[in-house]
Amino acid sequence: MVQAENPRHIGARVLRFEDDRLLSGAARYLDDIVRPNMLHLSLVRAQVAHATILGIDSSGLEDIGFPTQVFTAEDLGGLAIKAHQDYPQMQYSEQPVLASGKMRFVGEPVVAVLADDPYKAEDAAELVFVDYDPLPVVGTMDQAQDPSLPTLFDGWKSNVIVEREMKGGDLDKARAEAAHVIRRTYSTQRQAGVPMECRGVVAEYNPSDRVLTVWSSTQFPHIVRTCLSEVLGWPESRLRVIAPDVGGGFGVKGQVYVEEVLVAWLAVKTGRPVKWVEDRREHLMASIHARDHLHVLEAYVSADGRLLGLTADVTVDNGAYSTYPFSSAGEPGMVGKVLPGPYDFQAYHAVYRAVATNKCSIGTYRGVARPSAVFSQERLMDDIAEELGLDPIEFRLKNIIRKFPYKNVLGFSYDEGSYAESLEKMRDLLAADRAEAEASKNSKTRRVGVGIACFIEQTAHGTPDFIRRRVPIETGYIAARVEMEPDGQAIVDLGMQNHGQGLETTMAQVAADALGIEPKDVFVRHGDTLMTPYSVGTWGSRGAALGGGAVHTAATQLADKLRAIAAHLLQAKAEDIVLGGGKASLKTDAGRFVEIRRLARIALRNADQMPEGMVPGLEASFSQDGPADGTYSNAVHAAVVEIDVPTGKMKLRRFVVVEDCGVVLNPMIADGQVRGGVVQGIGSAMLEHFVYDAECQPLTTSFADYLMPQAPEIPSIEVHHIVTPTPLTPLGAKGMGEGGAIGPAAAIANAVSDALDVQVTSTPLNGNAIWKLSAGLRDA
Amino acid sequence: MRPASFEYHKAADIEDAVRLLAEFGDEGRPIAGGQSLVPMMNLRLARPGHLVDINALALDKIEFDGGVMRVGALVRHERYAGDPRIAEHFPALLDAVHWIGHPTIRRHGSIGGSLSHADPTAELPAAAVLYDATMIVRSLEGERRIAAADFFESAYVTALQPGDLLVAVEFPIPPANSTGSFMEIGERRGDFAIASVGAAIEFEGGVITKAAIVCCGADLVAIRAPDIEAFLIGKPLAAPPAKEAGAMFAAEVEPSSDHVAGAEYKTALIGELTQRAVEAACARALERK
Amino acid sequence: MTNITLEVNGTTKVLEVEPRRLLADVLRHEFGFSGVHIGCAHGACGCCTVHIDGVPRLSCLTFAVQCEGKAIQTVEGLGGPNAEHALQQAFKSEHGLQCGYCTPGFIMTLAPFVGEMAAQKRMPDEDEIREAMSGNVCRCTGYHGIVAAVRKAIGDQLAEGGK
Repeated sequence: MVQAENPRHIGARVLRFEDDRLLSGAARYLDDIVRPNMLHLSLVRAQVAHATILGIDSSGLEDIGFPTQVFTAEDLGGLAIKAHQDYPQMQYSEQPVLASGKMRFVGEPVVAVLADDPYKAEDAAELVFVDYDPLPVVGTMDQAQDPSLPTLFDGWKSNVIVEREMKGGDLDKARAEAAHVIRRTYSTQRQAGVPMECRGVVAEYNPSDRVLTVWSSTQFPHIVRTCLSEVLGWPESRLRVIAPDVGGGFGVKGQVYVEEVLVAWLAVKTGRPVKWVEDRREHLMASIHARDHLHVLEAYVSADGRLLGLTADVTVDNGAYSTYPFSSAGEPGMVGKVLPGPYDFQAYHAVYRAVATNKCSIGTYRGVARPSAVFSQERLMDDIAEELGLDPIEFRLKNIIRKFPYKNVLGFSYDEGSYAESLEKMRDLLAADRAEAEASKNSKTRRVGVGIACFIEQTAHGTPDFIRRRVPIETGYIAARVEMEPDGQAIVDLGMQNHGQGLETTMAQVAADALGIEPKDVFVRHGDTLMTPYSVGTWGSRGAALGGGAVHTAATQLADKLRAIAAHLLQAKAEDIVLGGGKASLKTDAGRFVEIRRLARIALRNADQMPEGMVPGLEASFSQDGPADGTYSNAVHAAVVEIDVPTGKMKLRRFVVVEDCGVVLNPMIADGQVRGGVVQGIGSAMLEHFVYDAECQPLTTSFADYLMPQAPEIPSIEVHHIVTPTPLTPLGAKGMGEGGAIGPAAAIANAVSDALDVQVTSTPLNGNAIWKLSAGLRDA
Repeated sequence: MRPASFEYHKAADIEDAVRLLAEFGDEGRPIAGGQSLVPMMNLRLARPGHLVDINALALDKIEFDGGVMRVGALVRHERYAGDPRIAEHFPALLDAVHWIGHPTIRRHGSIGGSLSHADPTAELPAAAVLYDATMIVRSLEGERRIAAADFFESAYVTALQPGDLLVAVEFPIPPANSTGSFMEIGERRGDFAIASVGAAIEFEGGVITKAAIVCCGADLVAIRAPDIEAFLIGKPLAAPPAKEAGAMFAAEVEPSSDHVAGAEYKTALIGELTQRAVEAACARALERK
Repeated sequence: MTNITLEVNGTTKVLEVEPRRLLADVLRHEFGFSGVHIGCAHGACGCCTVHIDGVPRLSCLTFAVQCEGKAIQTVEGLGGPNAEHALQQAFKSEHGLQCGYCTPGFIMTLAPFVGEMAAQKRMPDEDEIREAMSGNVCRCTGYHGIVAAVRKAIGDQLAEGGK
């Protein structure tokens, strides 16, 4: 690891540069983009979950009184997004940009209707009718595995999209040695991601330079560009994708959607700019969903409480389509990969599958399968401890990995972490609550419970991890270009996209440290493929580790050049020069210095003052790939709940996080990421449930029915950091953007289990669920 | 998600409003705060051809007069908390309003709007049913009085006809020896109730002399429980058979399940909330003496 | 189409609008105040909160034609281009925003609350602060920084008032 020379800004609580424009209302989100002569798109969407399309009738538009244009799949000529995993176990499918021949989920786009303003476009869309013949609905995991029901795609053998396995070690030995076999089934419900800004796309073709520009509320403009280029057959050099200010992503905006392809195609076809702004009902029904898992786990445990082996059977209700670029294989595969967790055992076998149903497709929402995997893993750990009569924290400490690097049963290498340390710290923090929980066992009407979740998170995974997957995302590197201007101000063109993580600030801190200037003198640009280097975008908890690494490395290259020029002017050696506070000075005599902005001017303008042989210019780029197995953050989450047994009403009294993500770039921002993730995790645990009826009609299509945490339900979230720098990334930083969302379901479920002395096997833990779980107490 | 087209009319006074509503018949809807109506319009679930804006009408008084509290239809939900007369005479109403939505909704939502919208689990309809309120309705034909028991016909359906305007709600003022309580359970603070129960009692010499119980969540409208109300008469304030009253009510109701709460849960909640509402009302009664 | 005169952030315009145009859309497009954000268009998230005659109101549940003769203020008018309102600065110092989409709605909802507490010369407890923002949804911050920002803004005003 190369540490920043004199870290003065890395690690500091620098206030965010993006805030002033966000606070004043000056930020420009997708719906703020207005192009001259723009058309507005309203989509006619499928109103039934599974049907053959017989015809589309837009004759109702003839008398509507204003101009409209209508397009169907026929006009698009087979345009589709393909997200296939290139292994024989995955059945092939494509998602047509507009439903073609069949409709496969309620909300699927079927007809595109254009008008001059969005109100009129919606009026027009109402008058277009889709004639269809209903097909039997495949609505559940069981139905997806029922051979008597039709397959969603012609030519499929079944509705199991993909089934694969991962294994390692000697399970027969583990079974033979086990004194206890504990088998459990766990499930987590389907939910939506819900950034506060819905999706949106604007596209415009400019015939004067033949460039097709697409603005999209996206997390990864380069990936969007490549996909659009492939689908539309448009050269990437003449395709510009711009992510403006984005109002939350959380991975929901880290897929490439059919609407993005459609709007781009419509702009070219009509010769006018086209805009589509998603509404909240569309977002809930037809963006992506997440979680919706069923796990059957079996643990083999020795007489003295050592975990010997684990098997898992994992099913994900995938919905209708394979989303781009991670594919349907992504979600179940992630569970298979992460179930071994932070515990020291070496026998494992997981079989995992994604099944197709007539629902919205599953995609990568914050945590990506790990909230469900950790729910099962940590519920199982508590269930085992309960069965063996062991304290849940002591049982975990008995099995936690302590020596690093650790090669896990699947061959993944875990770098140094504070797994045991964080458990011990949490144990201390919870002492009083645990005592209160114990005392509350005397009451049948009011119970207090404490639960923890201990987990690790693979972050910043490198190219080898993606190659294994054989899906349309083949790498995970982040690129950055750093340049300095003649006035000494720096620009960072970042291949990531900032939608709340404070990258305009943290990346400025990193560059400022390397260059010896102030963060306010670094302008971080992002989101526009025209000016940023090719990169995978913002997802997978890699901003600090890889984005920061790329910025640091590129800035260091620039810094080396600045030092060389300074050395030349001061007649010293470059290694004796230190950059800081806007100056390049002698390590041994701070009074002898040259201002950095003078060095910049020389490098760009006064080339005669450069050292012999140096070429003018002050720009460097770097693409930072992740370590082969990524770098592992660790955390322990704890929830303290109070349950009113007769009503099932549960109050979340306290939520504590002890987490270790290595070097922290900006503690204010890191804490914000943890807290935000935690509250989304609390939503997953207690409230957020996307519900379909037996005909796969969505029931929760507005915020009146799809419930998310609001301020009164949330306690103050306590965050404690341990810092174990990793040798695997340039700054010693690990990823941490998703961790907050991974632990709460497990911690809260374990707290409920503790409070009510029952096993908890599913979420959400809403009032009805808590009431049912407390039946034993009420009857007693 | 934008509404279908409509024409907008701003009524200057009640006469103007009822004239306009008569003219537009079932294509006309009054709009006050819009907190219930406009979401339906944006979702295109409601598509009135004509909106009659009644915000200029002088319907925003709370008057105590002749044994009756008369609440103008435009009284906003946040008004009740600041009025000590309501805390004294209608504590269950005050409790109920506490559960409505969130600050902005309480600021702009009106009792007229809430009662006309008739959501099955809304708090103000429940309070109207609990206190045997009377709705004062104006139309071109004149004034009509509709008892709360007759006003709420089904979920989102009231006795209001096209051309009607709800102008006020009259709550008979209970005698001095009276109090009440309202309990609600929902998933989050301001959500629609999964179940709620209100109790209003009159008392004398340490015993209950009259009782009213209302429940939301058991049916498509708020319902009363006459046999439980009769059961409570004569029972002591210091030891009311609240648990038994709850069990009786739970045995009677047949709520339906939805995606948030099953019928069994709702039934159990109704029993538990009945017990708590009765206990709380009696405890308040003892404090007053 | 109806002719209306609207006053927004001190600027008055005469417009011809359909009655069904939401105030939120008119503020965003006819007036160019893009700080008004639409999160749900059914009154359940608070993103679109503006002030009408000083009182917070959801602009997605208000038709522009209803606002004749009223003074409307958006976040742009509250603190100007440099976000100078005390609450805005407190959001910055306490990390009360991340993506910024819900932020104007929170600011417009909470600024009067901060003012009321300062006028009553008291610091509300945590429950009261969270209740005041119970109609605004944030997905990024977990509400923690927003609660801290409200405390900071009230605290600063109480300290100033004490001098």
